[in-house]
Amino acid sequence: MNKLKNIIFSIIILFVLSINAQTSNYSDEEKFVSTFTEEAISILSNDTINDSEKTKAFTSLVMSSIDLSLISKFVLARSWKESSDDQKQRYLIAFKDYFVNSYANKLDQYSGEKIAIIDSEEAGKYVIVNSNIVREGTDTLKINLKWRLLNRDGQIKIIDLNIEGISLIIAQREEFQSFLANNNYDLDKLIEKIISVSN
Amino acid sequence: MKVRVIIVILLCSIITLQACATKNSEFNSPQSSVATLQDPLEKVNRVVFSFNIIFDKFILRPIAITYRTIVPGFVRDRITYSLNNLGMPITAVNNVLQGELRKAGVSTGRFIINSTVGVLGFFDPAASIGLTSENEDFGQTLAVWGVESGPYIILPFLGPSTPRDFTGLLSTSLLDPMYQVGGGSASSSLRNYRLGTGVIDFRSRNIEILDDLQNNSIDYYAAVRSFYAQGRESQVSNNLESDTIELEDNMFDEFEFDETYVGPDIEIIYE
Repeated sequence: MNKLKNIIFSIIILFVLSINAQTSNYSDEEKFVSTFTEEAISILSNDTINDSEKTKAFTSLVMSSIDLSLISKFVLARSWKESSDDQKQRYLIAFKDYFVNSYANKLDQYSGEKIAIIDSEEAGKYVIVNSNIVREGTDTLKINLKWRLLNRDGQIKIIDLNIEGISLIIAQREEFQSFLANNNYDLDKLIEKIISVSN
Repeated sequence: MKVRVIIVILLCSIITLQACATKNSEFNSPQSSVATLQDPLEKVNRVVFSFNIIFDKFILRPIAITYRTIVPGFVRDRITYSLNNLGMPITAVNNVLQGELRKAGVSTGRFIINSTVGVLGFFDPAASIGLTSENEDFGQTLAVWGVESGPYIILPFLGPSTPRDFTGLLSTSLLDPMYQVGGGSASSSLRNYRLGTGVIDFRSRNIEILDDLQNNSIDYYAAVRSFYAQGRESQVSNNLESDTIELEDNMFDEFEFDETYVGPDIEIIYE
């Protein structure tokens, strides 16, 4: 009995090791995340610029690093395909403002957190870079953060952030779906609501 | 005798929960295919949710803000650690119930080391020698045993839950070794410390996050539901050794890139 347990245990260990051997193959993606976080932290901890300049610099970094068009379509799910070109255009503009507004003028809340990259793995079309958010003084209270990246011909873009198992994009999608379900799937109402929340 | 009572209660609750779970699948509506958790009681839940928001706004949030203003960060971190430490015995019990003896050893070791060397759990020396573990509650154990979560429910004051997790919460008082410590007033004051401080500790660490979520939400109720469902799912799946990221991958993979519509050239204008 004990022997069997030992054998199973060694197989599991071998399995885990082989997974680990495969994982850190995505050095480009890992480098992308570390460059992104370094630049973000240097903007956030820059005390020589005011809040609106900070937001501007941060926005241009974020916009060049994420695939906003893909994210916009993903969170709308089926309604994207069912919408008219006019609705699509109004929605994309509204969602962009909503997205920027969600962090604008809150960047002063940053209090020295650092990102420690652990490893990376393939996930379908995407690559997931696994990292921890570490705050000084509470090193053992880590927050897990997974980056879902899409690499299209060397062009790497962020698609989603997953904090402790919670995907922000999926949460956003469920929120929009719930709003639509409670409003007869009227996309115009959603666009109106998005605009009103971001103002 | 006591053990027998616990077993009977557990079995009864599991049977009821299973019944709930099967019944629940009848509520499957095609429109909620995205949601990870069924919500047939949405109308009632939204009412209780609004009540909880008011309770939070006028009582819980002000207390949390006061706590954060008065108590220095270093002390607050120590309290977070001590609450974490007091959760270790029940985590060890759940590790055993989930058949994870190795993890149970780690949790017990953490509790012993941190309660002594770590000065009543205010510090975490166990982690620096590689003993780390995640908190486990009885709701997670029920999930490992194959009990379905049942529908999403909002409890007054307590917030988001499911029949499975609520049963887990109730059973914790029967299973937690910390509730037996000292007997009489000592154990109840320990319980009050954990309950009261635990709520304030959690709320004070999430003031900005919850404010932002509430202010920026298109549908705050749905946002909280998604956060709860995803968070619980991920806690449970690390016990089942299946990864939620897989479920998520399916969702992302099913999504086809629509390249036909390029859209307007979005300029980043920010004054």
